[in-house]
Amino acid sequence: MAVDRLTVVGRSVPRLDAHDKVTGAARYVSDFILPGMAHAKLWRSPVPHARLLAVDGARAAAAPGVLAVCTADDLPVKRLAYGPAYKDQPILAREVVRYAGEPVVAVVADTPARADAALALIDVRYEELPAATNAEEAQAPGAPVIHTTLDRAGHFRDLDGLRPVAGTNVCQHYRYERGDLARAVAEADLVVDDVYRYPALSHHALEPHCAVARVDADGITVWSGTQHPFPVRKDLAEIFDVPLAHVQVVVPLIGGAFGGKCYTKIEPLAAALAARVRRPVRLALTLEESARTITRHSVVVRLRTAVRRDGTLLARECDVVLDTGAYADIGPRVATKAGSRAPGPYRIPCLRIDARCVYTNNVPAGAYRGYGVPQVTWASESQIDVIAERLGIDPFTLRERNLLKRGEEYVAGDTPLDGDMADGLGQAARAIGWGAPLTRNRGRGLACAMKDGGGTHAVSTAVVHINADGSVILLSGSVEVGQGARTALAQIAAETLGVPFEAVVVPAPDTSLTPYDHGTSASRSTTVMGLAVAAAAKDAREQLLALAAKLLDAPPSALTIREGKIAHGNRTLTLAEVISGHFGLVGGEVTGVGTFVPGEWSGSLGGATVFWETGMGAAEVEVDRETGEVHVRKYVSAADVGQAINPRECAAQDEGAAMQGIGPALFEARVGERGQLLNPGLIDYRVPTFADLPEALDSLLIENADGPGPFGAKGVGESGTFCAAPAIGNAVARAVGVRLTELPMTPERVWHALVSKGASP
Amino acid sequence: MLRPFELCEPASVAEASELLLRHGEAARIYAGGTELILAMKEGLIHYDYLVNVKTVPGLAGVRLDADGSLRIGAATPHRVLERDPSVSERFPAIARMEADVANVRVREVGTLGGNLCFAEPHADPGALLQVFDATVRLERKGGARTIPLERLFVGPFETCLEGDELLTEIVVPPLAPRSAAVYLKFGFLERPSVGVGVAVTLADGHVADARIAVGSVGPVPRRMRDAEARLQDRPVADSEAALAEAGRIAARASDAITDLHGSAEYKEHLVGVLLRRAFQAALAAVAGSERR
Amino acid sequence: MNAIPMSVTVNGEAHALTVPPHETLIECLRDRLGLLGVKKSCDVQVCGACTVLVDDRPVSACTVLAFEARGKHVRTIEGLAHGDDLHPVQEAFVEHGALQCGFCTPGMIMATVALLAENPSPTADEVKHYMRGNICRCTGYKRIVEAILAASERLATGPRTTDGG
Ligand SMILES: Cc1cc2nc3c(=O)[nH]c(=O)nc-3n(C[C@H](O)[C@H](O)[C@H](O)COP(=O)(O)OP(=O)(O)OC[C@H]3O[C@@H](n4cnc5c(N)ncnc54)[C@H](O)[C@@H]3O)c2cc1C
Ligand code: FES
Ligand code: FES
Repeated sequence: MAVDRLTVVGRSVPRLDAHDKVTGAARYVSDFILPGMAHAKLWRSPVPHARLLAVDGARAAAAPGVLAVCTADDLPVKRLAYGPAYKDQPILAREVVRYAGEPVVAVVADTPARADAALALIDVRYEELPAATNAEEAQAPGAPVIHTTLDRAGHFRDLDGLRPVAGTNVCQHYRYERGDLARAVAEADLVVDDVYRYPALSHHALEPHCAVARVDADGITVWSGTQHPFPVRKDLAEIFDVPLAHVQVVVPLIGGAFGGKCYTKIEPLAAALAARVRRPVRLALTLEESARTITRHSVVVRLRTAVRRDGTLLARECDVVLDTGAYADIGPRVATKAGSRAPGPYRIPCLRIDARCVYTNNVPAGAYRGYGVPQVTWASESQIDVIAERLGIDPFTLRERNLLKRGEEYVAGDTPLDGDMADGLGQAARAIGWGAPLTRNRGRGLACAMKDGGGTHAVSTAVVHINADGSVILLSGSVEVGQGARTALAQIAAETLGVPFEAVVVPAPDTSLTPYDHGTSASRSTTVMGLAVAAAAKDAREQLLALAAKLLDAPPSALTIREGKIAHGNRTLTLAEVISGHFGLVGGEVTGVGTFVPGEWSGSLGGATVFWETGMGAAEVEVDRETGEVHVRKYVSAADVGQAINPRECAAQDEGAAMQGIGPALFEARVGERGQLLNPGLIDYRVPTFADLPEALDSLLIENADGPGPFGAKGVGESGTFCAAPAIGNAVARAVGVRLTELPMTPERVWHALVSKGASP
Repeated sequence: MLRPFELCEPASVAEASELLLRHGEAARIYAGGTELILAMKEGLIHYDYLVNVKTVPGLAGVRLDADGSLRIGAATPHRVLERDPSVSERFPAIARMEADVANVRVREVGTLGGNLCFAEPHADPGALLQVFDATVRLERKGGARTIPLERLFVGPFETCLEGDELLTEIVVPPLAPRSAAVYLKFGFLERPSVGVGVAVTLADGHVADARIAVGSVGPVPRRMRDAEARLQDRPVADSEAALAEAGRIAARASDAITDLHGSAEYKEHLVGVLLRRAFQAALAAVAGSERR
Repeated sequence: MNAIPMSVTVNGEAHALTVPPHETLIECLRDRLGLLGVKKSCDVQVCGACTVLVDDRPVSACTVLAFEARGKHVRTIEGLAHGDDLHPVQEAFVEHGALQCGFCTPGMIMATVALLAENPSPTADEVKHYMRGNICRCTGYKRIVEAILAASERLATGPRTTDGG
């Protein structure tokens, strides 16, 4: 469909939730109140690894207002462990605690204050065990083995092929090889070999995790800020051994997620406690507790790259190690993705990749916007600049020479590249003023990366109801985490149906009412759910046209729908007239259904990847040589969105993502000491503030309507996070001649690097 | 979460002092509560009685004395100091420093007295006010003493206040004519990592007086008299030439510690950088005010 | 524990309450008065999600004690719009796409109202300085700065200048 014929798609309509969000009327899970609701607080392990000997909760149980004090053994569940890759994580620790901060005992009381006060009365005896508090320690000979048996979750097809290494802490070892590495290295004019480090991060979505659960004769109902309502439902059904139909997961608005609310988190505990006390239970974590629930993987990447003098990449050997913490969560898939994307978006004949996901006695690490790509891109794109410098080739030229072209395959058999990255990088470079003269201590840097978008083996279904008055209800399981999913999907539905945007309402996902959706992650809502929504709307539209055809006595193909009116020549009928005309009364509705099934899917160019999410970044920095402080003066992010459904929201997603890349580039990092998190909260964990906003932060949307989604859309939202760190690191190197290999590039690290180069005054 | 406590609202300093005496360790002065309530929420400390000083008449407010001294009531919020015209005209360095303390909400509620009495090492006013030779008035029932601000700080989170003593007033004498003060801070976490205050007085092309104080780096903010000695009583050019050495002396004397803000080595380096920049900015400020 | 009787005006409505000294303002506003637009996030006065105005001054409701509002006027996000008429700051946030998840938004908007009351036409740098203590994890801030500058213009020229201050 040509863009100029679109009326709703491609317009920056206001978000559906904007009014509620600016008036304070928006309701999040943490605003949820049920009559008779009790409150839970958790006693968490103070040590990273220990055998639990005894829990004495008697004094706490006798405290005022306390309804229950529960250990793992007190939970009325059929199965204690859950997890998307392995069922390795207990709802409450039993026998062993594996990280400092792991929940061991839950107290339920009539008020949060009373539950909290009772925590101090709990007495836990434990015997400390040796701990492995980073991936290196965990892989050393004689390291404590944190899980001795692993039970596969069987939730996701791609995770059936997990390869743990028995008797070690490696819970997934991804390998890939092509070409003759020894020969490529022998042929090369230059081989560079470096190690890059990326620290663990806290998601710090502003709304901490919260779940409210009720268990009654009808089954289990959980209100939760989860990105994966349907997988959570499946976990709950298994944990309580009830049919899926007896579990209802409802997701109101979410106060940010960024991957930290993917898969099951605190929902089973809230439900088990509600079952135990026979009252609704609210389990609301503090922001610091959220930081003890899930993190982003810290990653060490060793990269060895062989190149010809002219800059042609011959081979890349990537060794990627991820610290996944005490429980795997989705770490094994993050490791696979990190490994498979580590070489970067280039034409490289020879590859050898090893990615290991390693258990440690740290807080579990899981999904985080970008799914491993930001970590490996920090390494691979920094090293591209190292190569450029060593060969005396302009970094843009070196990239351009090696970037995959549209239609080229990244891996044989997968969907070929569906965009033009060199063009995107060129746009970003031009926007930053690449090549123009700079004042002293300033430098510019580039980076680019890509990721398979749309999710892995993920099903989505949508339903469109057209009511008797012509208003439209769109039922979709896509969760509104702030990305504007509801708005974009409503635009797609309105455009396809031919109704005004204002006619469409999108209720909150509810697994008992909303059709199945795999989950809201991997930038998949607009593309994958969008296709399901477009299909549902098309289904409804065809039914409407068939009904109208009878009323207007014309073939459906001769009718048009626009602005909620069906026309044939100069005769028009409103949708309401069509529906009441058909049903003969003021009732009834037309329902359309649409499903996206990945098995039946092949991307626009064939293969399993739905679309390639590409990101291009360009930074201009200024370095204070005396303090080591790096100021990002300008940042340009380019995102290939295919067709922007809502241009303003697309650019906003990309800008927000870029800031989430700038934070870890310069200051964000969790600091741990022997398994203890030293900066759980916002006083000592620095997130970007207004003060960090560059003088110019621009997002370029590349629109060629070449995506597989509705109207040619591709997903967006993660790519902005890929490039900031390497683009800034490359800019620093070009400004003052020092290259950092470990993030964040704090003033102190930059200063040390300058001093050791003799470049600080 | 906050555990219950009793609130006491004395009508005078004497009454407040009496309450502190009566309840001993179980009572604590409560001003803005930005530090106290935070620490109590975290469960780090608990008091059964909080004694609200904001209801004591006369403890909040700023005024200029006849001799040009600035008298600041202990319960004056940062925000008032940031915006009060007498502060920004006569003591611009203080107004500027205050505008960069914490965030606007903390500044609206948090008081200067609370900042000084909490003696958290990562703080700004304690360092800058020392270059003005500020004094503090400490009162208890039946007695009062005035001491240099410098002597208030005993260690991290530790002051020389007696159990029943209150800080009631901070007195900041004006600098001599042809003087300027500058405070520079550095840090990338919520609180400052390094802060350096400098005051310079010029006379006949000479640096007649140079005062330096360093905060946030070590356990307490302190004056750096050995470093000052390298810069004063000499021609401006000689002082400037001695800045690097003065910086090294101040750095060594600052008792820098390694923490989440950075290594001791790095902080010592920053002391030197900030000292030089602050000194030069102060020189420029004197020159600027004379041109006007 | 002594209970403190107090009268307080919240969003123009007078209330007579009795609060224990350790009750925080956010507990009072959310749990007693049902003003759920006041959000709690960091609980340590850094993020500003809980920003409300007490006698037009922005404070962190997560840490300020409820009794401190006695005899004062408290304003929350719920008290900003007049019926269906959004306050100019709210309008600007909608039009400029200055929100995503929206969890920071009530605090952001209240801080903006306080800023513009004090400094009706701030520069971008003044906006960044004043707002430094309001954290948004989603937007990257750019559009919030744009919205604030736009609101300032609207308040300067628009018909409703009374209560944006
Ligand atoms: C997020 C955040 C960021 C911050 N950033 C900075 C910063 O950048 N720079 C900086 O300098 N500071 C910073 N601070 C500290 C801030 O300045 C202080 O919190 C504030 O000034 C303390 O004042 P208060 O009135 O709230 O003290 P309270 O919390 O009420 O009291 C603090 C302590 O002082 C005692 N006390 C208070 N008044 C008296 C008195 N008159 N006599 C005797 N004892 C008394 C109390 O008993 C208590 O022990 C920050 C604080 C926070 C929360
Ligand atoms: S919740 Fe109050 S400032 Fe963050
Ligand atoms: S919109 Fe999500 S935190 Fe600001």
